[in-house]
Amino acid sequence: MNERITLPTALTDKRFKSTSTSRLSERLMVALLGGFAFLTIAISAAIVFMLVSESWNFFSSDYVKFSDFFFGTRWTPLQVTDIERVEFGIWPLLSGTIRVTAIAMLIALPLGLMTAIYLSEYASRPVRAVLKPVLEILAGVPTVVFGYFAILLISPSLQLISPSFDTFNATSAGIAVGILCLPMVCSLSEDALSAVPRSLREGVYGLGGTRLDTSLKVVVPAAMSGIVSAFLLAFSRAIGETMVVALAAGTLANFSFDPRQQSQTMTGFIVEMLKSELEYGTVQYYSLFGVAITLFAITFVMTLMGQYVRRRYQESYQ
Amino acid sequence: MSELPKAIANIDVNAELSLAKRRHGYSWWFNLLCLSIASLSVVVLVLLLVSIGYQGLGSIDATFLTASHDPEDPSKAGMSPAIIGSVLVCVLCALTALPVGIGSAIFLEEFKPTNRYLKLMHGFVQLNISNLAGVPSIVYGLLGLTLFVYMFQVFGKLEQNAVSGVDFWGVRRYYQLLSLDQSSTVLVPMVDSKQTTYKVTQSIAGFNGKEQPIQIQVWRRGEAKPTDPEVLSRTVRENASGGLLEIYSWYYFRLPFGSSFLAAGLTLALVILPIIVISSQEALRAVPPSLREAALGLGSTQWQTVRGVTLPAALPGVMTGAILAMGRAIGEAAPIFVVLGGNIGKRTGPEHLMDSCVTMPILIFGWAENPVESYRELAAGAIIVLLVILLLMNSVAVYLRQRMNQLSG
Repeated sequence: MNERITLPTALTDKRFKSTSTSRLSERLMVALLGGFAFLTIAISAAIVFMLVSESWNFFSSDYVKFSDFFFGTRWTPLQVTDIERVEFGIWPLLSGTIRVTAIAMLIALPLGLMTAIYLSEYASRPVRAVLKPVLEILAGVPTVVFGYFAILLISPSLQLISPSFDTFNATSAGIAVGILCLPMVCSLSEDALSAVPRSLREGVYGLGGTRLDTSLKVVVPAAMSGIVSAFLLAFSRAIGETMVVALAAGTLANFSFDPRQQSQTMTGFIVEMLKSELEYGTVQYYSLFGVAITLFAITFVMTLMGQYVRRRYQESYQ
Repeated sequence: MSELPKAIANIDVNAELSLAKRRHGYSWWFNLLCLSIASLSVVVLVLLLVSIGYQGLGSIDATFLTASHDPEDPSKAGMSPAIIGSVLVCVLCALTALPVGIGSAIFLEEFKPTNRYLKLMHGFVQLNISNLAGVPSIVYGLLGLTLFVYMFQVFGKLEQNAVSGVDFWGVRRYYQLLSLDQSSTVLVPMVDSKQTTYKVTQSIAGFNGKEQPIQIQVWRRGEAKPTDPEVLSRTVRENASGGLLEIYSWYYFRLPFGSSFLAAGLTLALVILPIIVISSQEALRAVPPSLREAALGLGSTQWQTVRGVTLPAALPGVMTGAILAMGRAIGEAAPIFVVLGGNIGKRTGPEHLMDSCVTMPILIFGWAENPVESYRELAAGAIIVLLVILLLMNSVAVYLRQRMNQLSG
């Protein structure tokens, strides 16, 4: 009875080979992966540093006044060569961006949301099987292609409807940007709609509601936070869109809200400035960073708001 | 005998029926409205493809696929440098963005901290990535411009026909002189990098045009010219002056990068990094926790679990996301335009890391804004080629997904 139990050698000999090396490699891998993750923070920091330091060169110049920049209604760094007489007022570019973005949103938001409602509430399997790939293809088309589409088809069609449209105009660029944002609005809203639990829909049907009642009075309000955040993200995407406006919106920076006219947007100006002969280091050149920091600030606030809305107002059904 | 409640007894059945009918009618109309709006996107896609196909199919032929841009004659212009450039930029972009993106996703999903402060950091990194995804691509372009192209001018400014920037490896500099036989050149190695031209005064060791070492002879006015063609080819006139010739290896590296292939690839990597992180995170999240728990229960470390279990299980999703991100990269024009400029005249693909290059979207942009109508037709042709390449990439993604699913299922 008092016999000593001998443990198996595997248990007495505890010098497992793998343990120490795997612990080391574990540490190394975690450090490496953590380094990658911190690289993404470094990128954000670099963006902010780049925008602030380069636009400081612009704002600190003698020819630029802060108040003129934010309230001025003339923007002429590309038209006037004499630096003394160049005017830096952001509003022409801002009005161009607002025109294009407003038209784009008028198209993308209602159409995107309606398509999403159709896909999540009404569509039968075969219709879905056609619509989903179409939207995915549309989402994958490069933006420069939409710009080309705008000058190839949209602009001439607009001129056919009313000759008062310029060859390059805010409406055609806006329509193209709207088409570009539509798949994004649609897929994000659809995600939000399909996250609404089935029981809510069944409740409405049980009370005798129609599909219209279900979708508009119950499902859409329940998914509102996701839909609003989709709208904000699409808005931010439309403001930052570059190639379409560079091709189709024209190069004249005028302060107006007429959608039939040319409208240089903030991104369009950056492209024009880079195309021009102006050297890196001149005040005119640095003005593009002044525009870029304004653009970044607007889109950043939009993205943050989108995330805030989604988190804060998300309805949870547990 | 029980009576019906008043609320029920007083119902006007016909009115209720007509109301219900009307409500169903509304619903039906709403259905129709939704359907017509949804099918609008099909109409738009068809219009887009048909109009571009009609405009561009005629310009696609063998010359179009093999030639380079021709500023004089649209019928001789082609897009081969742009195709090579786009593919190479995309490869560079994948090599840099994929490891970093997938690595960050693994860190965020699989190594969740328990410490309170680390948790806060973790949430911050996550928020930061969603914000990065919302930054307009042209802002990334400007980041690439200042960070890679100019490097905040820390290493000086790059200039034409002068030695500028800080070289590391992969470049040989010579003065190039015409020899007496008027058809071959000789090279004198450069000693002083500030001196961009060179005058020959005496016999000197140098190289011939193929970089083989030779002794360079000097012929002075009044002397008899050598008769041997071999000697003639390495003899130069006295006081002949030679200009700078730089010969690059493919791995040539210099700071700052300038408007180069390397700068373009890295900038594009910045653009698609958040997309890759987010899609990889989703793929990792879809792996059932039971798999991880089994691996951890068998005694593997966290990294062993990731390497042996989680990552292989998530691979189809990760790959699909990566290919979609590559599709985005190959069609992205704005950041590349900012970094490389709109010059589309290059006749070859990039030949070394610091070489400039043309990509397909830039070529399309350059042709599309050309006032000459035939160049605009070429742009449509280039769009068709680009869309076909994108379609091929997407079908690879679909194929991979199915293949992987079969293997694992």
